[in-house]
Amino acid sequence: MKNTGILWKGLCRKPAALRGLAFILVICLGGFLAPLISPYSPGGLDEQRILEGPGWSHWMGTDGLGRDLFTRILYGARVSITVGIGTALAALLIGTLYGLISGYVGGTFDNLLMRIVDVCYGLPDLLIFILLSLVFGRNIAGILVALALVTWVRFARIARGQVLQAKEFIYVEGARAIGASHARIIARHILPNILAPILVTLTFSIPAAILAESTLSFIGLGINDPYSEWGTSWGTLAQDGWRAMRSYPHIIFFPAAAIFLTILAFNFLGNGLRDILDPKTR
Amino acid sequence: MPATLTKTSIRRALFVLALLFLSSCNPFSQSNSQKVFRVNLGTEPPSLDWSLATDHVSFNVIANLMVGLTEFDKNLKPAPVIASSWDILEGGKRIVFHLRDDVAWSDGQKVRAQDFEYSWKRLLNPKTASEYAYILFDILNAEEYHEGKTTDEELVGVKSRDDRTLEVKLKHPASYFLSITTFEVTYPQRQDMVEKFGSKWTEPDNIVTNGPFLLASWKHENEIRLKANPGFFLGKPAIEKVDMFMINEKTTALAMYEQGQLDFLDNHSIPILEKPRLAKAPGFQKVPQLRGYYYGFVTDRKPFNDVRVRKAFSMAIDRTVFPKILHGGEQPASSWIPPGMPAHNPRIGLTYNPPEARRLLREAGYPDGKGFPQITLGYNTDEDHKIVAEAVQGMWKRNLGVLARLENQEWKVYLKKLQTDPPDVFRLGWGADYPDPDNFMKLFTALSGNNNTRWKNPRYDQLLELAAGEFGEKKRAKLYDEAQKILCETDLPIVPLFTTAESTVLSPRYTGLEYSSMGRLILRNVRLKESNQFPAPAARGRD
Amino acid sequence: MARFLLRRLLHGLAVLWVVVTLTFILMHVTPGGPFDRERRLPPEVLANIAAKYHLDEPLLKQYARYLQAILRGDLGPSYKYIDRNVSDIVIDTLPVSALLGILALLFALAFSFPVGIGAAYYHNSWIDRWCLLFATLGISLPHFILGALLIWLFSLQLGWFQAGRWENLASVVLPTITLGAAPAAYLSYLLRSTLLETLGEDFIRTARAKGLKEIAVLLKHALNNSLIPTLTVLGPLAAALITGSFVVEYIFALPGMGRFFITAVTDRDYPLIMGVTLVYTVLLVCANLAVDLLYSFVDPRIKSR
Repeated sequence: MKNTGILWKGLCRKPAALRGLAFILVICLGGFLAPLISPYSPGGLDEQRILEGPGWSHWMGTDGLGRDLFTRILYGARVSITVGIGTALAALLIGTLYGLISGYVGGTFDNLLMRIVDVCYGLPDLLIFILLSLVFGRNIAGILVALALVTWVRFARIARGQVLQAKEFIYVEGARAIGASHARIIARHILPNILAPILVTLTFSIPAAILAESTLSFIGLGINDPYSEWGTSWGTLAQDGWRAMRSYPHIIFFPAAAIFLTILAFNFLGNGLRDILDPKTR
Repeated sequence: MPATLTKTSIRRALFVLALLFLSSCNPFSQSNSQKVFRVNLGTEPPSLDWSLATDHVSFNVIANLMVGLTEFDKNLKPAPVIASSWDILEGGKRIVFHLRDDVAWSDGQKVRAQDFEYSWKRLLNPKTASEYAYILFDILNAEEYHEGKTTDEELVGVKSRDDRTLEVKLKHPASYFLSITTFEVTYPQRQDMVEKFGSKWTEPDNIVTNGPFLLASWKHENEIRLKANPGFFLGKPAIEKVDMFMINEKTTALAMYEQGQLDFLDNHSIPILEKPRLAKAPGFQKVPQLRGYYYGFVTDRKPFNDVRVRKAFSMAIDRTVFPKILHGGEQPASSWIPPGMPAHNPRIGLTYNPPEARRLLREAGYPDGKGFPQITLGYNTDEDHKIVAEAVQGMWKRNLGVLARLENQEWKVYLKKLQTDPPDVFRLGWGADYPDPDNFMKLFTALSGNNNTRWKNPRYDQLLELAAGEFGEKKRAKLYDEAQKILCETDLPIVPLFTTAESTVLSPRYTGLEYSSMGRLILRNVRLKESNQFPAPAARGRD
Repeated sequence: MARFLLRRLLHGLAVLWVVVTLTFILMHVTPGGPFDRERRLPPEVLANIAAKYHLDEPLLKQYARYLQAILRGDLGPSYKYIDRNVSDIVIDTLPVSALLGILALLFALAFSFPVGIGAAYYHNSWIDRWCLLFATLGISLPHFILGALLIWLFSLQLGWFQAGRWENLASVVLPTITLGAAPAAYLSYLLRSTLLETLGEDFIRTARAKGLKEIAVLLKHALNNSLIPTLTVLGPLAAALITGSFVVEYIFALPGMGRFFITAVTDRDYPLIMGVTLVYTVLLVCANLAVDLLYSFVDPRIKSR
């Protein structure tokens, strides 16, 4: 609790990070409250309103099937945010557990596990991600799992490094001597110390995931949504717009701006957090 | 130490860089040379071997490299090319082709009947594993040979009596067989060349062709270059060279045309939403295609096993929407045989009628869509198909109260799914291989390998057989009318949606290009407008 | 040093083996293959296809056969491009991708050095503050957005540069900038940070005390030490360039391996997918090894091992 207070105070001194956080909150709210905000449906067909430019009734214009672009971007936020945050959290869970156990147990076990991590680091990640998405399917869950499987190594390395550092401290030895259980040691002594770098990595993993997902959706290998009523990825929206770029640039402009600004917001937030929590790496 | 490292390594790096640049660039590529006609194929042709090719990109190249027995004229009737005449004997069961003796291969040898015999037998040979083998199944023993029931190729009913006579024996009279000889897979092949070079026989250094252009070079996934064949029997083409690029991004291709780096655009190179603007450009022409687009129902399970449901869903589709959202001049179609093909009949089929559709749905037990099971509409991944599917999904929701789930897969995966676990409604299309209604209607016979609806109707099959043996045009049309009524009105295993049109733009500097209704790009009559050269053969199209 | 390099080499081989096995498993787990044609084929033909691609043999035998073939340099026949081998396709397209990557890297280096040095020199001025902003912007901008923007602006609106193909100098500019922009931004910032760090060290103070001009201090002394951290990011940077090249080749219609990979995935042409993945991994492993090599030259701590 004390730590979050320090965190918040630190953030308040960083305007860029605050702006980033605010933007992210707006996007999240917009995405999940979309049905309340917009009277239009993100799907369907409206022959009368095809390809209108931005105007009063359609703030961002309409696309080739007459669908309101602003609405589609709102609903699309759900997809991008879910994939971004979901991937990062999943990678965090897998990677941190892996690194914690490996570092805590130590010895040859740790060596072996870290060799595996090394090898994973050497793989070309976008390639592996594409291949994995073929196996897991190109729906939101499949893409999430595939992306998480490519990014977990970051967390593993950090967690394991921190655990090794923490193990050096005398009080851990002391706790063992008293007879504290492993779980208690991990929870009370080790976890609080690794929280800072993990949090920073988390905040940077999210925009990386959004970038990867939207890039793949743009080239047609990303999320294959069967049901546009829930939301369509911004990358797919950008792809629709790319094909019409010459005559109707608004169709690519707005999704591209949404992707860019969201990634930027997370990066600003990450920069801010990193400055507060881990100033050495500035 | 880093300082010295950098100096020599810079020099070395520059050297490697220069090497790489030279190896990847073509020093002869000239973007604005006037003697070269530049088109965009869209993608790399999977194969230029016409026994193996199945896609129209490959056929487009082949059609400019080769000629065959016949080709189709303005009325889509087979006209003589290498075959100067033919005799139809025994009521249509035996056809004898008489070949010209002045058509030469690019290495000087004359085209002989044996070249046709070899090519057709190779197409049927199971070892070739050719997908289009079935096109020759009307020939005696052809199907048996292909399926391995007999291994003696002498039994197959195609024989060269001498260098200039090709005799074909059919299982049964087939009025459309001559149309089949316009199709590229029936072009002749040189046995000595194919056997000498094996799978590499289509490489530019090895290939032997007899058409208006020669294959000068083939830089894979980059460009194909053709050059005019001085020995072409109809006269050397007016343009010296043809460059065929492989740009699969339409936006990029369009930008190149507008910068003067391409001389021709077709649907491969025009993004959908740019079509209205280009329709006003000079050199624009819309060419209706013999290509149908349909949604098929899986008719052996709920809910589409009930014909009333199928009719309801068909009548809930307003086909006039499609040209509005696809911008390509698509022709709404309620019947299956496309316009331009003999026996086309626009009066057949069910029209847009939402009240009637709702009534039928209610009658079938689903008033206003209540209680209707969740259905899936599948299509293969593509921009157009997505737009059509989303539009139809919207219309069914609006008119029937049913929300279909959309799903799509890549083409190969989609095909597999159709055969193993098809969605309730699936999208497919068909482009004519040869301009005869038999080609279109045969898709839906009981034994057709292309029939994914699990529907069969013995009367339908019977009508097609009768029509195949019928040589009188009016009688044939009547038979096809009855068959189409079954297909598109009473049984309705499919819903035809529209037939496509190709938007083409030809650079105003050129003339003489023909884009056929079969989707073939014919370049042999293309010439610059200012030149005084006259085209050799009769131009069939755009002039 | 030799031990270090040997270890890195073994690591590289392990990575390659994992990739090969992974993609092989993939091919047999996912649907879609050479059998899937629009029309159902008769059993005789199916048998012939199976024989041609050795798909009728037990899985382990196919795996062994595949491994042997790779060691020979034969990546198998493509499923889609019926007459061609994967190796042929790779040989045709690799030079383009390699050249694009190298040009982008050079662009990034050429851009980041002056900017990074300038930011460190004019520390705390507007250049310096903009450097961080610029770096963040650079890594936040996906390749496809930058590429589309550049095409829209310079190709469609202004008509200065060509929009596609890979023929002459003009067609190289936009793709290089698109691929190299993010690394350029990132490297500028990294250089600036490490320079500033080094500038705080003792030996710099000595040099300044000796009366050397600030710029000489910067270039002669600080720069050498900053090269090491820069080298460490070159490995991941190479990876980023490789993966970024897919999108760039796609947007600009360049005849490179990345664009081929995308179409191969769409067509489920598994031998081609496996082959290209393998080649990319080899490239990555080589790049990492090269970085390790350079690193071992530069970092005295490793030299002595």
